Amino acid sequence: MDELEFLKKDWKKQGADFPRLSYAEIYKMIHKKSSSIVKWIFIICIAEFLFWGLIALVIPESTFAIYEKFNLNSFLFIAQGLHYLVVFFFIYLFYKNYKTISVVDNTGLLMKNILKTRKTVNYYVYYNIALYILLSVILNVVMFSHPNILIENMMPKNAALDSDKFLGIMIVVQIVVLLVMCGLIWAYYRIIYGILLKKLNRNYKELETLNPK
Amino acid sequence: MNKEIEHKFIVEFEQNQNIIHKVCRIYTSNQDAHNDLFQEIAIQLWKAYPKFRGESKLSTWMYRIGLNTAITLYRKSKRSIVTQDFDSVLYRIESTSYDDTEEEQLKLMYAAIHQLSDIDKALIFLYLEDVNYKEIAETMGISEVNARVRMNRIKTRLKTILNP
Repeated sequence: MDELEFLKKDWKKQGADFPRLSYAEIYKMIHKKSSSIVKWIFIICIAEFLFWGLIALVIPESTFAIYEKFNLNSFLFIAQGLHYLVVFFFIYLFYKNYKTISVVDNTGLLMKNILKTRKTVNYYVYYNIALYILLSVILNVVMFSHPNILIENMMPKNAALDSDKFLGIMIVVQIVVLLVMCGLIWAYYRIIYGILLKKLNRNYKELETLNPK
Repeated sequence: MNKEIEHKFIVEFEQNQNIIHKVCRIYTSNQDAHNDLFQEIAIQLWKAYPKFRGESKLSTWMYRIGLNTAITLYRKSKRSIVTQDFDSVLYRIESTSYDDTEEEQLKLMYAAIHQLSDIDKALIFLYLEDVNYKEIAETMGISEVNARVRMNRIKTRLKTILNP
């Protein structure tokens, strides 16, 4: 192609028209902070680990008083122990994947490793949501199979509603809270993916079409 | 970090900075964006430099990090919204299609390149730098055959953009 050859000739000549940075300018430049997406992903992932790790600590002690009445405390204690084991496993996986990200790798591999690291944290969040739903179901099944204890402890004494209505409201409120939480999480991920990973995903897909397995 | 390594890096970077300017020229279309990307690549090069053992040529190493930063790591800053430049570029194509001066021809070429995808820009960049297909394939993580096929497609596409 003539035009390209023409461009190539000009390409080799260029250089004089670029600004030339001095030693001091380069020194200053390399000590500035990077704003690469790998750094952002790292920060967001750490924030997510902390968020889901700390959310349990924010729940007031009094919330658990009710579970004692159902003899659920030892179950919750064991569940919590297992949960922290899983969390540490996720952190280990995340760290391992993060360490494999190298800007010197070829473009395809670099993108693959970034997406893999990001996925680890996605699975972590899925795990937390699944755990949250599973625990809600287990706790509710146990509690609602002993409605007497539940009514005795949870229903306001002076409320003018019968116990059936009260149980109904309890169930509806729990379902609404669950749906709202899932909605918020979904919206959050739409934003994170929309902003941060759109370009990466697009380029990765394009490169993949060049490499049919 | 070690002052000696730092000094060595800056000297080498100073001598080879044109490579990075060229990457920025392909991937950005205004001065602010150019400077932004340039800085990010410089930071990435410096971060990777202590592990650079000289198994590959310095230029090859710089191509990789430069392109990886442009394609994958770099996020466009708010200052440089592409659409605006795009419009003026398209305008230029229409209004100057009868002008044959070399300068205009080159402007059109760059405008056409700016319309390519990030991946295709990388291939064109390596082609202009006279990198062979084996190395292009290794840099991008694709097969040599696919690199050739894709390059031919890009050439055709550029031709269509230039002569609609």
